[in-house]
Amino acid sequence: MSHKVDRRGFLRTAGAGAAALGLGGSLASCGSDETDTVTLTWWDYFTLDNFQPGMNRLIKDIEAGVPNVRIERRTFPFAELDRQITLGAISGDLPDIAIVDNVAMNTLGGGGLLADLTDRVEQWGQADQYYKGPWEGCQVAGKTLGIPNNSNCLALYCNIRMLDQAGVEPPTTWDELASAAQRLTSGDRFGLALSAIKTEEGVFQFLPFLWQAGGDLDTFATDGATALSFIEDLVRKGSLSEQCVGWTQQDVNTRFLNQRAALQINGPWQIPTLKKADFDWVVVPLPRDKEAATCLGGENWVVMAQSEHLDKAWEVLEYTQRPSVLVPYLTSFGELPARKDLADEGTWASDPALRLFLSQLPLARPRQYGEHYADASQAIAEAEQAVLTGSASPSAAARTAATKINKALG
Amino acid sequence: MRHRRAPSTHRRRAGYLFCLPGMAFLALFLAYPLLYNIWTSVHDVELSSLLGGAERFNGLENYRAVVDDAAFWHSVRLSLIFTIGSLVLQFILGFALALLFVRPFPLNGLLRSLLLVAWLLPPVVSGTLFRWLLDAESGAYNALLRAVGLGSLSHDWLTDPSTSLAGVVFANIWVGVPFNMLLLLVGLHTIDPQLYEAAAIDGAGAWQRLRRITLPLMRPVSVTVLLLGLIYTFKVFDLIFVMTGGGPVDATRVLSLYVYEVFFKFFRFGQGAAAGLLLLVVPLLTGVWYVRRLRREEPAGGSA
Repeated sequence: MSHKVDRRGFLRTAGAGAAALGLGGSLASCGSDETDTVTLTWWDYFTLDNFQPGMNRLIKDIEAGVPNVRIERRTFPFAELDRQITLGAISGDLPDIAIVDNVAMNTLGGGGLLADLTDRVEQWGQADQYYKGPWEGCQVAGKTLGIPNNSNCLALYCNIRMLDQAGVEPPTTWDELASAAQRLTSGDRFGLALSAIKTEEGVFQFLPFLWQAGGDLDTFATDGATALSFIEDLVRKGSLSEQCVGWTQQDVNTRFLNQRAALQINGPWQIPTLKKADFDWVVVPLPRDKEAATCLGGENWVVMAQSEHLDKAWEVLEYTQRPSVLVPYLTSFGELPARKDLADEGTWASDPALRLFLSQLPLARPRQYGEHYADASQAIAEAEQAVLTGSASPSAAARTAATKINKALG
Repeated sequence: MRHRRAPSTHRRRAGYLFCLPGMAFLALFLAYPLLYNIWTSVHDVELSSLLGGAERFNGLENYRAVVDDAAFWHSVRLSLIFTIGSLVLQFILGFALALLFVRPFPLNGLLRSLLLVAWLLPPVVSGTLFRWLLDAESGAYNALLRAVGLGSLSHDWLTDPSTSLAGVVFANIWVGVPFNMLLLLVGLHTIDPQLYEAAAIDGAGAWQRLRRITLPLMRPVSVTVLLLGLIYTFKVFDLIFVMTGGGPVDATRVLSLYVYEVFFKFFRFGQGAAAGLLLLVVPLLTGVWYVRRLRREEPAGGSA
């Protein structure tokens, strides 16, 4: 090692010094302990109250089940976690373990920020227990950089009474969706609600259309145009509100809940809210065109490469994947397992809505496009917004976006 | 001589000592981040290079990438429209209100304090407020228009790319008017009332008094208000971020939002730092101009 202290080294040393000053007291008391208890820091973005009991129980389980480990958990707002990890990479203040959005593997995966778990996973030998999409979402450049925490995907929610009144069956193809949405539109009620907001959320909702059209990011100029013009048509016919360019998925669900939309595209995390609705609804797979497809959501466990307790961190991750730990955790979160072997346990085995989402997981595709996916994502969001607000034609917007996507993903 | 110099060096040293906390603060929170930013702007810094060893020095490459980016120039244009639109209307409305409030009338103080609330509110709050006011379906403005039978004028202000910039300018005017009013009001109070009396005796009407007395005497204050407004408005971020997030498409992506995206969405730190420094040019030049004006005014003000 060279003795020259570079800028990062300096920051790290300074940070460590400051931390040491603060921790001095507790370290001193630890030193006298006979067994070496390892403290693992853990970051996640599950800040809502309803997640806390499940998370606290999981941590208690881990501390009881994994020898000599103590978890120090810190939560961040959803949008803040990636940024904190990025800034942490500069200042050296990083956790040992984190639970990150599966799409974050694109940005975090490059550059050696995450620990390579390939050998450990191979030795563990449970890789084939996971659904293809969630598992592949953890592989970056041939290395396993994480394991799935939970998975979700998108499907179509239908208001049963409205469908009955209009004499419409739940749509299974694009054509059926277009005609159903049109027939379900009346007064201030829209047939369909979806999110086309200018963030990853909007892209998460758009990508299934691109894939259903038989395309992917590398054929955006043509298949992107097909998908865009299908959605544009919905807006032009009044079946989908132009306002969707500003809606988050939460807003979409509110429209559906207030019966201002008869159909909505959304994920399983809305089920607890929708259970309180005073009308009946049903979930069906997203309508297909050339292909059936949906987009994979959910979180992954990752371990930071700079962690001094890689073995312990892996031990914790492995422990969380035992059915006796994983099933209660997912049940309390209302999330779905990424593991096939748990399909018949937990609430998702009996709840029809959760079961439908689970049945779609094999079709769910991860957004795995590499380090510069953020640029591509922004290009897609802008193309959709340009088309839906009438400032560009689908083919022109798709061409513009394709140029940017190709430049970003090379 | 020797006897007289000793206390003065001593005093000078004490002066430096008193400056020290301020200097330390500036060095730590202003000079260091700025210099670090300049360092970043001439290196190839991306997320991977932050972890994988030394960042490559790449001279002006980041600046070239920014200047070659059509989105950057689009943002510059938007920033100029946003700033000029906000400043002109804020100033005119602020001036009109100052002229109103300079006269005594019942509840003057109360109304003036209420107006100031707009300036005191955190931009995140005002942004959320205006996002709701301008909403197409549940927004107050459209409801008002519909209620008075002008439903055909109701509009999707923030979702339509051709009006969203006007929407954020509108919100920013609301935020900035009280600030303009307050400073201009102070300025109006400094004008000697005898001038108006004399002019009235000479037969000058209200319009002439405004044109010949108020406006010329208000020039120095007006320039100050506009310069401060320019510095403040050019770097507005939170209000727009909350209202539109730069959208729809890129219709409200002003420079500050552009820099934010390059930094925190694409993690191109070098390029973001370069764009950030370019963003700094306008407020910095304005600031220099402002400080020089202050210096020139001080002796003049002292003799008056």
